[in-house]
Amino acid sequence: MTDVVVIGSGLAGLVAATKLALGGKSVTLISKGLGGLQLSQGTIDVLGYAPGRVADPIAAAASMPAPHPYSVLSSDAVRAGVTYAAELLGDRLVGDPSHNVLLPTAVGALRPTCLVPPEMAAGIVTGGIQYALVGFRQLKDFYPQLCAANLARQTAPDGGPIYARAISLDLPAVADMADSSALAYARAMDDPSYRQKLASLLKPQLAEHEVVGMPALVGYRDRTAHRHLEELLGHPVFEIPLPPPGVPGMRLNEALVAEAKKAGVRFVSGAKAVGLVAEGDRVVSVGQATAGRIRQYTADAFVYAPGGFESGALTLDSYGTVTDTVFGLPLHGLGQDLITADAPADQALFRVGVGVDKDMRVVDTTGHAPYSNLYAAGGILAGAIRWTEKSGEGIALASAVTAADSILKGA
Amino acid sequence: MKTLDVDVVVIGGGSTGVGVVRDVAMRGYSAVLVDRVDLAQGTSGRFHGLLHSGGRYVVSDPNSARECAEENAILTRIQPSAIETTGGMFVCGPDDDPAFGDKFLAGALANSVPATEISVAAALKREPRVNPKITRAISVQDGSVDGWQLVWTAAASAMEYGAKVLTYHKVTRIEREGDTVSAVICHDAKTGEDVRIGCHFVLNCAGAWAGQIAAMAGCHDVEVVPGRGIMVAMNHRLVNTVVNRLIHPSDGDIIVPVHTVCIIGTTDVKAPDPDNLPIPREEVQQMLDAGEVLIPDFRKARAIHAWSGARPLVKDSRVSAADTRHMSRGMGIMDHSERDDLKGLLTISGGKLTTYRLMAEHIVDAMESQLGTKNACRTAEEPCPSPEGTSTTYHVTHRLHDREQDRMADQILCECELLSRRMFTDKLAEQPTGSLDDLRRQLRLGMGPCQGGFCSMRATGVAHEVGTVDIERATGLLRLFLKNRWQGLWPILYGDQVRQTALDNWIFSGTLDVEHLPEGAEVV
Repeated sequence: MTDVVVIGSGLAGLVAATKLALGGKSVTLISKGLGGLQLSQGTIDVLGYAPGRVADPIAAAASMPAPHPYSVLSSDAVRAGVTYAAELLGDRLVGDPSHNVLLPTAVGALRPTCLVPPEMAAGIVTGGIQYALVGFRQLKDFYPQLCAANLARQTAPDGGPIYARAISLDLPAVADMADSSALAYARAMDDPSYRQKLASLLKPQLAEHEVVGMPALVGYRDRTAHRHLEELLGHPVFEIPLPPPGVPGMRLNEALVAEAKKAGVRFVSGAKAVGLVAEGDRVVSVGQATAGRIRQYTADAFVYAPGGFESGALTLDSYGTVTDTVFGLPLHGLGQDLITADAPADQALFRVGVGVDKDMRVVDTTGHAPYSNLYAAGGILAGAIRWTEKSGEGIALASAVTAADSILKGA
Repeated sequence: MKTLDVDVVVIGGGSTGVGVVRDVAMRGYSAVLVDRVDLAQGTSGRFHGLLHSGGRYVVSDPNSARECAEENAILTRIQPSAIETTGGMFVCGPDDDPAFGDKFLAGALANSVPATEISVAAALKREPRVNPKITRAISVQDGSVDGWQLVWTAAASAMEYGAKVLTYHKVTRIEREGDTVSAVICHDAKTGEDVRIGCHFVLNCAGAWAGQIAAMAGCHDVEVVPGRGIMVAMNHRLVNTVVNRLIHPSDGDIIVPVHTVCIIGTTDVKAPDPDNLPIPREEVQQMLDAGEVLIPDFRKARAIHAWSGARPLVKDSRVSAADTRHMSRGMGIMDHSERDDLKGLLTISGGKLTTYRLMAEHIVDAMESQLGTKNACRTAEEPCPSPEGTSTTYHVTHRLHDREQDRMADQILCECELLSRRMFTDKLAEQPTGSLDDLRRQLRLGMGPCQGGFCSMRATGVAHEVGTVDIERATGLLRLFLKNRWQGLWPILYGDQVRQTALDNWIFSGTLDVEHLPEGAEVV
């Protein structure tokens, strides 16, 4: 028996659990495995497009129409969620919650985001910036020429030009291996002597005023790696996120797990949550499919943060039925053409999810809460296409902090 | 206008066209093949991958059965790299009439199609996922064939004999002098140039598009009825041998293991336009239901892609014009000197991929008979050049073996299909103006479970890095590839492929923000 059980170990689950634990609750977090944060780009996106590019994400969130999660959450809740994460993560994030910045992506698009790790901050685009984009011949997930050529075709938001050129280094992460992942490079970069070797190859090729863009691999556990490399090169250095597993997301994940553990959250990982037991309008316990049996976890309140289709919490079967695979909760956003020939990123299917009231209590499609103590947060919430909007972390944080506050206030 | 002069122009770069151009070239004629897009981009690449044993036709079409059995052996000998000798079975489902098996065995015997009845236990031992409630099983020599490899290796052979292959050359006009064909005018889509190819003979092998080509020569009302069929590829090989249902040819009666996947096919619906072939939801459901009969829980397996192809069926007054299932699978050669008083033009329709070589032989014989010449056909004797110089048939672990050799020295661009960077750059050097889909058909880029999620950005980056494409084209190529993958994904999107699509969306939209890249080239 704990006060609160949190289901899911992504950004929403970790932050809700930590806030509840720091607020004095005993918290058990159950999860199938590592959360989705380690697959992410490692920035805190709040709202990047709506559908045009957004400058102030908190202000823009306030005008998102129903059924978007931001239409249920107030802009104060969005601000509180993002601010809470910034405080929790301390110097691991920089930026202003009311101000989006643009960062180059690995293919050279300019992507809006809000809070960024300090390792990325030097890449924020401004007119006249001179990027030197550095790739490795042994790394197949970053092509500096492609990135540079696309960046150079664009202008900064202030109308100024963007200069970009590519540098390719012949430096394997592991001796004699032609094919290394970004994670293998990040581990190699934890060694100061590897950084020195890199700098000795790169420094002679850099020109004055150039800002060095590297794939996101400048150290995995050694937090001094980025600063050290900047010192060795004498140039500002920024990281560009790559397809998963993403090193910046892994760093954030590890930091948040450490914070949650420090706050006293108990983790039970490795088995999926399956089904809940209710008495009247209260959830009494949730099951976890451990080896050989289903183990029940009882609590006073439950925060449901299992993610969406990408985590397997939601599924669509071959007959076209969408199901919440954990609790079988009523889903919102059904009853239309869920999948069409239109662009893959914009499918109505991906807006399907669980509905909530302003306290983040789960509600059915009539707005009625079947359980008084079941709250939802993060990717399971209906109404948003997070990858297109660049809103994933903002929704997760705002809903997690709101749910935690509701429980702490005894709502 | 650029000009060329040859003896024979072959129109259509599918299996029939390359078979014909190879045969014509081997018989000593100068020849050029033209196609409006890439080789095998139409029906020859949009089927289920079955190399017929002949079993499918032993009851309904004995002549085709006999031809299939003979050609199966020939193709396995001359184009081994395109063929996997999987073997096959016909199984009688729980509700199917077991007596059909007797007709099947009698037909097989009469038409020299090797077939042996085996016990249900032996069948289930060979393919453990097959429905344990089957009542009979007959073992046959079905195989699987990669239509793209088949076409490209035959084209390579033709080129060795001096034939020219002009892809992305769309025929715009066919000229005549008096009562004889004299030239074919093409538009080169890649350079924007027109090309005039003077010739003495035109062989119209345009498949489902043959009627449109014949009309350009003033020969109207050539009716080729496109019979549309859908196929669904399932992740992994649920079976390692071809599994057919022991019934009269019907929808969803076959599952073929091809490369790393297996394919269920197919439907047969008259299509008004071969350029617009939908993949209707209800037909996908029909395939999944049919799959359940052969393999229980087929629906719960992961579908990764679907496509539609148009069979070029000959219109036959004996069957209803809407009943494409029962139109002849045999070939038809239309001699326009008899029909339209135009010499030097033959139109070919119908046929099957398995018998493409034989069909080509008949066509070239017909051409020679009109020309009054006679040269021996040698296409069955001489093997086609093989891409890696191999003389063995395809094995699904070939690439794994190759990557074991070069894994320290080269990168794997596509993990699903074990495609190395070197394989990609070599093919790109051969086809520098090709799209990523053109390269995909020869390399299987993006054809595995992630459907391009990880490899398409890499392929784009490499093509740009080696200088083959500029940035506008690179961006356009990436966008087009993702768009085309989606066409075959959305009709079968369910289960784990939804999860994969969500991950792919996080990559392309979430992390890379591909939709906000500056404009790409419109024509790539």
